[in-house]
Amino acid sequence: MNPTRSPRFTSAAPVVLAVAIVVALTMPMPSAAAATTDGLPCEANSANTFSLDAKAGYVSTPDGNSIYMWSYSSSTKAFQLPGPMLCVDSGVTVTVVLHNTLPEATSIVFPGQHHQRANGHPAQPQADTTGLTSLTDAAAPLTGSVTYTFTAGSPGTYLYESGTDVAKQREMGLSGALVVRPPGQPDHANGRADSAFDLNREYVYLLSEVDPDLHLAVERKRAFDVTKTKARYFFINGRSMPDTIAPTGAAWLPNQPYGSLVHLKPFVPGDPDSRPALVRYLNAGSVNYPFHPHGNDQRVITEDGQPVQGAGGSDASYDKFLIDIGPGQSADTLDQWVDAEHWNGETNPIPVPLPQLQDQIVGPGTETWFSENPYLGGQPGEVPAGVVRNNQCGEYYMVAHSHALEQATNYGASFGGMMTLVRIDPAAGCPS
Amino acid sequence: MTSDNQQRPPRPMSRRALLQGGAATVAAVAGGRLLGSRLDAPAPTTVRPAAAVVPPVTEVHFAATDGWVSMPSGARQNPPFWPDSLAPSPFDLYVFGFRDVTGLDDATVKAQRGKAQISAPLLAFDQGTDIKLTLTNLGLSVRPDLTDGHTVHWHGFQNAIPLFDGVPELSISVPIGRDFTYFYRPHEAGTYMYHCHFEDVEHVQMGMTGVVFVRPAQNKAPVGGDPLGTKYAYNDGDGSTRYQREFAFMLTEIWAEAHYRDAHIQTTDWTDFSPSFWTMNGRCYPDTLAPNGNPMTTTAGRLQYQPNSSLITANEGDRVLLRLANLGYQNHSLTADGITLTTVAKDAAPLVGRDGTKHYLTGNSVEIGPGESRDVLFTAPSPGTYLLYDRDYGYLNNGGGGGYGGQLTEIRVSPAGTLGPQTTPNS
Repeated sequence: MNPTRSPRFTSAAPVVLAVAIVVALTMPMPSAAAATTDGLPCEANSANTFSLDAKAGYVSTPDGNSIYMWSYSSSTKAFQLPGPMLCVDSGVTVTVVLHNTLPEATSIVFPGQHHQRANGHPAQPQADTTGLTSLTDAAAPLTGSVTYTFTAGSPGTYLYESGTDVAKQREMGLSGALVVRPPGQPDHANGRADSAFDLNREYVYLLSEVDPDLHLAVERKRAFDVTKTKARYFFINGRSMPDTIAPTGAAWLPNQPYGSLVHLKPFVPGDPDSRPALVRYLNAGSVNYPFHPHGNDQRVITEDGQPVQGAGGSDASYDKFLIDIGPGQSADTLDQWVDAEHWNGETNPIPVPLPQLQDQIVGPGTETWFSENPYLGGQPGEVPAGVVRNNQCGEYYMVAHSHALEQATNYGASFGGMMTLVRIDPAAGCPS
Repeated sequence: MTSDNQQRPPRPMSRRALLQGGAATVAAVAGGRLLGSRLDAPAPTTVRPAAAVVPPVTEVHFAATDGWVSMPSGARQNPPFWPDSLAPSPFDLYVFGFRDVTGLDDATVKAQRGKAQISAPLLAFDQGTDIKLTLTNLGLSVRPDLTDGHTVHWHGFQNAIPLFDGVPELSISVPIGRDFTYFYRPHEAGTYMYHCHFEDVEHVQMGMTGVVFVRPAQNKAPVGGDPLGTKYAYNDGDGSTRYQREFAFMLTEIWAEAHYRDAHIQTTDWTDFSPSFWTMNGRCYPDTLAPNGNPMTTTAGRLQYQPNSSLITANEGDRVLLRLANLGYQNHSLTADGITLTTVAKDAAPLVGRDGTKHYLTGNSVEIGPGESRDVLFTAPSPGTYLLYDRDYGYLNNGGGGGYGGQLTEIRVSPAGTLGPQTTPNS
């Protein structure tokens, strides 16, 4: 690393956060401390009917950029990226009314759902004399609408996304997550008994990427070549690290409502109340996103809405330390962190020393998530002057990020991009 | 924080851990290092008694620094980026890397500054062994203006605690001239990898990547009437991962332009990533076939700092284990012409359901994404030479030129009984 990078290559996150911290002295403002939000922020209703507007808006990236995006938003709410998380039960009839406000035709496809209809007839690819124009019935520019209905497929995680001018509209952000649950068993990922999870520990990672040049061209109505995109920003639920660890609904990210901080406690084998978390991966991009949760395997139990099983229902699920999601694919994983060694400062100390502060690099930026104490729940220790400690009570943080490491950057700046944290609280909880 | 744990080893560069170990350390080291830098060949791993209350300890000492390596001389030139005009003969590419300096005295350790190797030393440990890995940051000889720290991230280690996971922002990293000892007690057999996590997109690309694997406890309690000394990839319970010979592969890509810019005090936009060399164990074909080397001697010439061979040798009928790890940023598919490949594990986890059913995968190729590992078994066919290579033919060249290069190596099969038992991996 060159410590005197030109501004473009300097991770702006610490700068922004430093400003935030200064401001925080006078008014409530966020720091990059990872705030927890438990449970999935589902859009759900008894009629399984959703009204979505396709509209334009802006999102912010941690380095201070602002990007023009297209997305789906609830008709009663402001622009958001990605589209609302829709939650339904398998087998129900779902109605999605699309209202188009964009300057070109758009539509929604629902991969993995059955009996898809549009305006009362079977949804069909659209063509004119030049050939295929849309994968499904589309809403006309600016004012058009389409009413889609379908029967929700098998339990799992699915994308809904644009079926019109797909290379461009996918890049512009027209996608969202559809979570399908087993009827009467919302705490099961699929129909199998071994798919139980903690409903308060359920997360969606909708993975995507952005070439800001294309977005600027669309915003300014300039020509562009969609085959020449070069992704610079990499999103989980429309946010990049460190915004990914901000809480769901964070006020300072008004158009990017969904966080992705996973919040765990040490797993207690045999305790019925100690269930694994569920992480639902979705790839809304056009390349693989090889996602690596640190310090913890995750067990892949559902792929593309199908339980991972073999002949006769045998369990074919598997542990992975890297979940490699291809474009359009999904995977649901169980996640639990076990306190394997029970390190304890008095009774079972770690067998190697923690160096004195002068012999450590802390950060290396202006903040750390380390407590300066190796022990879970231990009293946080001293950090160097000028370094902010985003650690409340000795909780552990593990990182989880794309291992195509250029995707774990904000326009090339490290510790950004397609990255989030896993927060492990002490068994007794965090007293804040 | 107890005051006991505030103790710092004496400066500079503590040898305390090693000195404490004494003779036991040397014996333990033999179990941990395989392809390293010491002049004396490591002894084959001895089977230890089953762990009692106190597990046996293996101590390893690594240094992190920069250096120069060589891509195949016939590769297409890409001026000014490759070959690099700053490179001392016979080298042509600037790298960062690790070196195994276990057992060396302080002066010799410091003398390794500027002598990084790629891929990093191959590490192997026994399940349930305690491992103390001391990392010394020797700094960057070509870039004394940089103050980069270094870490070791054991990629895939289960239920780690942050202090030993090597992510700077969530723990600490090692400043230049200092060292830090990581502690590991692996409970899960399998093939993993390790890399520096400081400015990871840069340090991983620059070469700080290696394979680490954990031998299963079943090796000490063979199954199905197998004799002691039988080797297994996993605690399979039925001998289905039994093998006679093992070969580990670190797959990476090298973006020569970024390496040049690091050496020439320029910055890189990592989202422009566009590699020009595709490597196995830090080498491109035909260098992949050269034997294992020793970075402490000049015997291997331009490959002095790329000591890890990718040549596979076996007797007909041998069960051969390929331990594959990918720390590039691209997906790769390997195929071996005429040989059926059985994947028994992905990411150091055997393909076994929670109900005990096995779901091994059999085919003629193995797909592996960035940050993934695969354990692949095959039976050596009739004597002859077979090729193991990346099925993306675009990766079978060096520097974008024509001809054969990149991620390609040979499987040389001899008549049964020709080769003696394998004593170290990749030999």
